[in-house]
Amino acid sequence: METSAFMGTRLDLIVVFAYFAAIVGFGSYFARYTRTTKDFFYGGQRFAWWLIAFSCIATTVGSYSFQKYSEQGFAYGISSSQTYLNDWYWMSILLLVWLPIIYYQRLGSIPEYFERRFGPVSRAFATAIILLYLIAYIGINVYTIGVVLKSLLGWPVFTGAAVTTVLVTLYVMIGGQTSVIMTDLAQGVILLVAGLAVFFAGVVHLGGFGDFWALLPQGHRFAFSEFNAPDKFSFIGVFVQDGLSNSGAFILMNQGIVMRFLAIRSVHDARKMSVCWLLVLAPLAAVATSGAGWLGRALVANGELEMGATDAFVHTAWFLCAPGVFGFVLAALTAALMSTADTLINAVSAIFVNDIWQRHVRPDAADAHYLKVARIVSLAAGALGLALVPIYYYQYESIYYAHAVVTGSIPVPMVIAILFGILWKRYTPAAAVATLAGGLFLVGLSFFPPLDKWLIGPFAFGMGSGSYGFMRALYGFVVCGVLGVVVSLVTKPRPLSELTGLVTGTQLEAMRLYKGGEINRTPGKKARVRVQADATLPNPETVVVPEAALGVMAARPGDILYVSDPRWWFGGLRSVHVRAGQPGDGAVLRMHPDALTDAHLRDGQTAVVEKII
Amino acid sequence: MDMARVWPIVCQYGIGSILLALGIWCGITSGYFDLTTRRDRNLLWILVGGFLFLLALVSVFTFWLPYIPKEAGA
Repeated sequence: METSAFMGTRLDLIVVFAYFAAIVGFGSYFARYTRTTKDFFYGGQRFAWWLIAFSCIATTVGSYSFQKYSEQGFAYGISSSQTYLNDWYWMSILLLVWLPIIYYQRLGSIPEYFERRFGPVSRAFATAIILLYLIAYIGINVYTIGVVLKSLLGWPVFTGAAVTTVLVTLYVMIGGQTSVIMTDLAQGVILLVAGLAVFFAGVVHLGGFGDFWALLPQGHRFAFSEFNAPDKFSFIGVFVQDGLSNSGAFILMNQGIVMRFLAIRSVHDARKMSVCWLLVLAPLAAVATSGAGWLGRALVANGELEMGATDAFVHTAWFLCAPGVFGFVLAALTAALMSTADTLINAVSAIFVNDIWQRHVRPDAADAHYLKVARIVSLAAGALGLALVPIYYYQYESIYYAHAVVTGSIPVPMVIAILFGILWKRYTPAAAVATLAGGLFLVGLSFFPPLDKWLIGPFAFGMGSGSYGFMRALYGFVVCGVLGVVVSLVTKPRPLSELTGLVTGTQLEAMRLYKGGEINRTPGKKARVRVQADATLPNPETVVVPEAALGVMAARPGDILYVSDPRWWFGGLRSVHVRAGQPGDGAVLRMHPDALTDAHLRDGQTAVVEKII
Repeated sequence: MDMARVWPIVCQYGIGSILLALGIWCGITSGYFDLTTRRDRNLLWILVGGFLFLLALVSVFTFWLPYIPKEAGA
């Protein structure tokens, strides 16, 4: 094999750099769809479920994923897949309580929910915690790719991290959420295909599934680790840190994921997206990211490779792939980095603009001003993430442990505060402040020895200090939960009339507020109509729909409709939400020229129209 | 039976079932999750079916497949 100073061949290197260039170009192309802050942060709220599902899986699979899950897969077996299989039971709370609140309340950010539900003090704490969480998360991603590029190319960790951060930040700055979603769609497909291809190539190489399975040690064949062993990969540690804290954070407080939900064209599509994401794509991602570790273990057992757990992904992929193909697999690694970091950078920008700049610095500026600030903040977010690289580099022995420390601590007070806030009407503003501030303080204390032993030790199920990075989440849930309940019981709750659309039991009222009238839930079908520009219409939001089309949709005047290009592969890129006016006599759907422009539709073309609510 | 392998299923799917039931209950009692409509009934089956599918999957990889073949690899 032709080799150079790096692990692959020159062809592999060419493939990786071609991929970098293609993604930056692809992301920059979609800048044409970004004209306002709504486009920059929420992609115009127009996308189809399948497109967001793939982009979500690309976001979920971070750069650390291939490295850390292959490492854990090599060391502990198929239980490394649990991270991708322990989100489902959050689904009902997400789809039936949290999603209607964030969607129908048109929440621009998670801190905005805190202000509406609890008041400005909670919003300030929430803003600080989420920014801390997101920037720490960007740092983890950037650090990981630096580690990967060091092992592949021999670059210093900081150099590799800096190069990729600049590229990601570039296309996020230019194209915002639309670029993030479209590049993540491409990257989601690439990382799944590459990871699964490595796994299946390895299985075929070993002679089939039976032979592969037989080569795994028996302890590697279980779905879960043992309940409280080993310290750094016990079931209970992974469950509380990942299944409860990280999954809860992803679904309830990760601004990047919330922005994806707000980018979907309807709540019904958001439901379909969630099912596809967590029940179909997440299990595939589990195999794609861990498979190289399982195979590596089998190849070592078969005497074909010698390596340690930390090298599992790269060495196994290198062993199995031809020149050029290895480059494609490395491109998948970089895809995983970029697709997570871009989402986080865009999310930091959204929170800074919505919760700090617009609220405290320039409340009444033009949208163009906020768009400019958003782009500058994207740059700063990338730089801040990069600045954290030396901390991770010198502080933590493994990427997996560093990730666990971040996700098992910072989000816990927020997860409890949101969960109580949406599920418990009695939960008071004072209790929310106590949960956020007190919880963060008490969780913070547990980082300092010997306090960690006193505080986390009782929750560690007999495990040693090696488990504290994981078990801190359980300690955090208990102290934050107790604070929330106790303070709620001794303070006065807000009246229910002030909680409309913010707490369970008021979802239908939230829908009415969103629509501005009585909701229409009568089942209807999609209609195909020809669209025509009509400058005499009073405003861009209202359209005149043929009476026959209204009948097909079971829609009435005042209903919110979604008009889109009939070609499904656009995924909603050419579409717009409008409101049905009085029925028209003709066979065409008449729209204001501004609405046509916003939808990227041509005058006279056929479109699909459906009732949303 | 090695309970160190059973407790994880009891714990994860026990707490998971509580969270799942909580969300469904909140949806139904608010009227937002309307089981008289076909769309919401389908969602209910998907939520419960997904939970049972994952439970079945981890059970297979706990009680059956780890012991096949009986001779462990290296």
